[in-house]
Amino acid sequence: MMPQIPTWEQMQPVMPEVWLVLGMCAVILVPFINRGSHVLPLFTALAGIVLALVATISVIGEPGQSVFHGMLAIDPFSQFFKVLLLLFTLFIVVLWLMTTRDETHVYDVPDYYCLLLGAVFGMALMASANNLLMIFIATETASLPSFALAGFRKRHQVATEGSLKYVVFGAASSAIMLYGMSLVYGMTGTLGLSGVAAAASQDFSPLLAIGLLAMFAGIAFKLSAVPLHFWCPDVFQGAPFEVTTFLSVASKGAAVALLLRILHNFGVQSGEAFVGMAVGVAILGGITATWGNLVAYHQTNIKRLLAYSSIAHAGYMIMAASLMVLVRTDSDPGLAASVAGAILFYLLVYLFMNLGAFTVAAVLARQTGNEDIRHYGGLINRSPMLTVLMSIFLLSLFGMPGLGGFMGKIYLMKAMAEVGGGAGMVLIALLLINTLISLYYYLRPVYFMVMVPDTESRPSVSTPGVGMAILTVCVIGVLWTGVLPGGPSNLSATYSDMTVAVPSTAQQGVSEAEVVAPVDAIDARSAQVVGDFP
Amino acid sequence: MEAQLLNWMIFIPSIAALVCLIVPSKEQAKSTALFATIVTLAINVFLTVRYYGNGFSGVAFESEALWIEGINVYYRTGVDGLSLPLVLLASALSVLIIMASWRIEKATKAYLALYLFLMTGMYGVFLALDLFLFYVFFEVSLLPMYFLIGVWGGPRKEYAAIKFFLFTLAGSICLLIVMLGLYFLTPKVPGGTGQNIWAMISSKPASEVLTLQSEPLREFFSQPQGSAASVDTGSENSLRQTAWTFAQWAFWLTFIAFAIKIPIAPLHTWLPDAHVEAPTPISMILAGVLLKMGGYALMRITYPFFPDAAVLFWIPVASIGVFSIIYGALCSLAQTDWKKLVAYSSVSHMGYVTLGIAVLTRTGFDGAYFQMIAHGITSAMMFFLVGVVYDRAHHREINRLGGLWLKWPGYGGWSLVGFFAGMGLPGLCGFIGEIMVLLGTFEAAAPGMVGASQAATVYTFGILAAFGVILTAGYILWMFQRVYMGNARPEYSDYEAVSGREYFVMGTLGLAAFVFGILPYLIFSMTMPTFDGLLNLFNTEPVAAMLGG
Repeated sequence: MMPQIPTWEQMQPVMPEVWLVLGMCAVILVPFINRGSHVLPLFTALAGIVLALVATISVIGEPGQSVFHGMLAIDPFSQFFKVLLLLFTLFIVVLWLMTTRDETHVYDVPDYYCLLLGAVFGMALMASANNLLMIFIATETASLPSFALAGFRKRHQVATEGSLKYVVFGAASSAIMLYGMSLVYGMTGTLGLSGVAAAASQDFSPLLAIGLLAMFAGIAFKLSAVPLHFWCPDVFQGAPFEVTTFLSVASKGAAVALLLRILHNFGVQSGEAFVGMAVGVAILGGITATWGNLVAYHQTNIKRLLAYSSIAHAGYMIMAASLMVLVRTDSDPGLAASVAGAILFYLLVYLFMNLGAFTVAAVLARQTGNEDIRHYGGLINRSPMLTVLMSIFLLSLFGMPGLGGFMGKIYLMKAMAEVGGGAGMVLIALLLINTLISLYYYLRPVYFMVMVPDTESRPSVSTPGVGMAILTVCVIGVLWTGVLPGGPSNLSATYSDMTVAVPSTAQQGVSEAEVVAPVDAIDARSAQVVGDFP
Repeated sequence: MEAQLLNWMIFIPSIAALVCLIVPSKEQAKSTALFATIVTLAINVFLTVRYYGNGFSGVAFESEALWIEGINVYYRTGVDGLSLPLVLLASALSVLIIMASWRIEKATKAYLALYLFLMTGMYGVFLALDLFLFYVFFEVSLLPMYFLIGVWGGPRKEYAAIKFFLFTLAGSICLLIVMLGLYFLTPKVPGGTGQNIWAMISSKPASEVLTLQSEPLREFFSQPQGSAASVDTGSENSLRQTAWTFAQWAFWLTFIAFAIKIPIAPLHTWLPDAHVEAPTPISMILAGVLLKMGGYALMRITYPFFPDAAVLFWIPVASIGVFSIIYGALCSLAQTDWKKLVAYSSVSHMGYVTLGIAVLTRTGFDGAYFQMIAHGITSAMMFFLVGVVYDRAHHREINRLGGLWLKWPGYGGWSLVGFFAGMGLPGLCGFIGEIMVLLGTFEAAAPGMVGASQAATVYTFGILAAFGVILTAGYILWMFQRVYMGNARPEYSDYEAVSGREYFVMGTLGLAAFVFGILPYLIFSMTMPTFDGLLNLFNTEPVAAMLGG
């Protein structure tokens, strides 16, 4: 087969990813021009991100399509997620200026940005991946740079430990995921998600169930869902602040987007066994949320506290995502938009409030060198502004009305009530009980900041301009989504559309006859499928 | 213009709170707060005059604006006879409480700002006519309270603050579940608009704004009648059955949500802690206004939305009320901490509110409402009286006090008014509320009333509640004897005299206790037109017959 040069029409949908890869390459090459510059790699990376952002926004309104033989779905949902992701990455770069720039050796800066862009590239692919192999590649592309980023402070003991845990966990869950995918492929004879779902709706064999379960384990690792969450607090504690923030929002967001797309593909098909899948995912979400909230009680390190909080929030989103299986997407697109829109809105809010909370913690840690909330005593007198902002972000994470987190939960619960019926009420009750539990630990830092007097006469904390800029954006975001949620929620519902149809050979290959084809036929077709990869 | 003034009333305190944080000195902050509270009181008085001057009976001064489009939430505020006296109480008390806070020295600006934010929450709760908006204000009012107790409170302030927050939040969550159920069910109401309905009540006719109290919805959430059920088609019938099951659950969930705030006896444990640890002015606002949110919400939400469930469950609710009366009074008898005694007396007194609402008689409703106003006056006064001594003695042990009357005869005189009004002495405001609730309870045995076929139960409730009055007299008089009678203690000589500002606060409250005790119709005439409509919602006969049969 002659190598084919793709046309612009074929390339345009994936230009964001292309720009990110070009940015990665450029940032590595920059030291050949000027080795001693902080600024050059920074701006190169920024240029890559901004170009990717522009490329995403330029096609955001267009109807969804499958590209590269159904490997990637470029649809409003993935584009909206990419916009969030890239904007967030811009914030992370800005945050880096405040947190770790001073302690990073100038030679390390290009490496750092190469890794960051690589992770973003992987996450962007995760939101679009529509094929088992693509899912695996995307997840790995997102994970491998994250491992390195988590341990970027090389001489930091906790960071090294966290990074190692991350690698070991990541490797194990990748292996399980790959094994599961091989089983799924073996049973269904296709790698395309819609093909898998179509085959599963015909014949949901136990082996297929095991394969799917193993595959979900890999995603659960990225989501830090219980019981695959153990890496999360250690990594969060060890990593530099901006990496922690990046992982807590972007990595989980991408995993939620991926989970949603997989479940959506199953939702298009109907199958009795799929209800069991929905229940399974919902239980995973419920356990994750409850476990995260309960364990957060004992945390005194602000990063660990927020790590468990992020586990709980991932749980909320997983609970809502489970509904996606139950929505008959073709017959009731409104409900699918309700679920996906609610989760996108939640991600939007979560971005602001988590970024805000981590930024305040970073400002405090930068000046006091301490991440322990017990050292926040009397902060209200030392820096009232930071105290108020931190309280706003924590209360939003808890779900105080008037702040974004509350509306996020309202939309999740609305989706649960609309789709789940009676079972949805159970999810709502679980979500509300978890909200009640979470109040205590979200108020703990507030308690130390406001009510415990400062016994050691610590110096006052000043906020650098960069930090103030991020905090301003975050607090405006939290209030905007909380007080006037109509606009953003409409926006997220508009862009909640996901493409399912996969006009590729892999999809066409799965006719009903072939689903139950004998093993040798599957072998033959698999050769064809692999041969068709671009 | 009135509608705009009403909205200004909600948000002036918030604006003033920001001003308090900006102004340079504490004195200016105090003046700002005092000015803002006086302005809201003036607006409130003006609105009251306009409301009754124009002879309104239902909701008036309504403003409406679409807030969250996707889920049909409106910003809807307005006032009626049910909210007006309570808002008046809240804004009048606010002025006195700012005066009572005059000597708060710790972070005065933040204190005043939080207090003013709390006022926005309070007014919002009373004036919101949209359930979602109500919920937002209901929960937003928790946060300033958490800080006010937690920062300016006594030794165990943090424990008390978080306990208050968690208990009330648990209640809010019950309310949220009901709200989601309503969101799910209201579009299915036959004869409805197919939209989600959050409006609680509106001045507009049902053809324009369908509210949760209007005919189709009340019909929907009422008990399906046997004859009607047979006519209905199968699916409609099962929908009606679902709605009725939901109504029963929703009744209890909303009841618990608001009963925690009232509080009722098994769920009251946050109250003594919060009161004991809170500074005096905050205890005053907590007992004087925040507890009333619970009673108000029962009358505004739980009872009118689910009237049939209210009729069905009148016995359990009344039992809870009676239990609160007796249990609160017995707890008060056992206290040696003066403030805790007053706190438990709140549990007992608010039990009358629960009982008066539960029996679903006109007299009972009037009595319960009057009891809320009266308790707002007397409990605020009692907490202030305790606070005056605590400021000087720095302890509240009843057994270490005594002979206060000889030390300060003027203070003793006003104390007599305050505590006896709390006790329910005829001629003072506490008496009217209690006696009306008792009368209303006995009335429930009358034909056509909820307890027509269960006279024995009704009389038991009435007699037990009346027994509570005796217990109240017991703990108040015994406390009075120990604190005020006898010889003045030697350590009193260091105490500074009661100031004119303090006399003004207790004098105003004491006069109010007299005025409403002698002229109770001031309140009754304000609530009468609204209650006429409210009581019509309860169709007591069929269910009462069913309970009896």
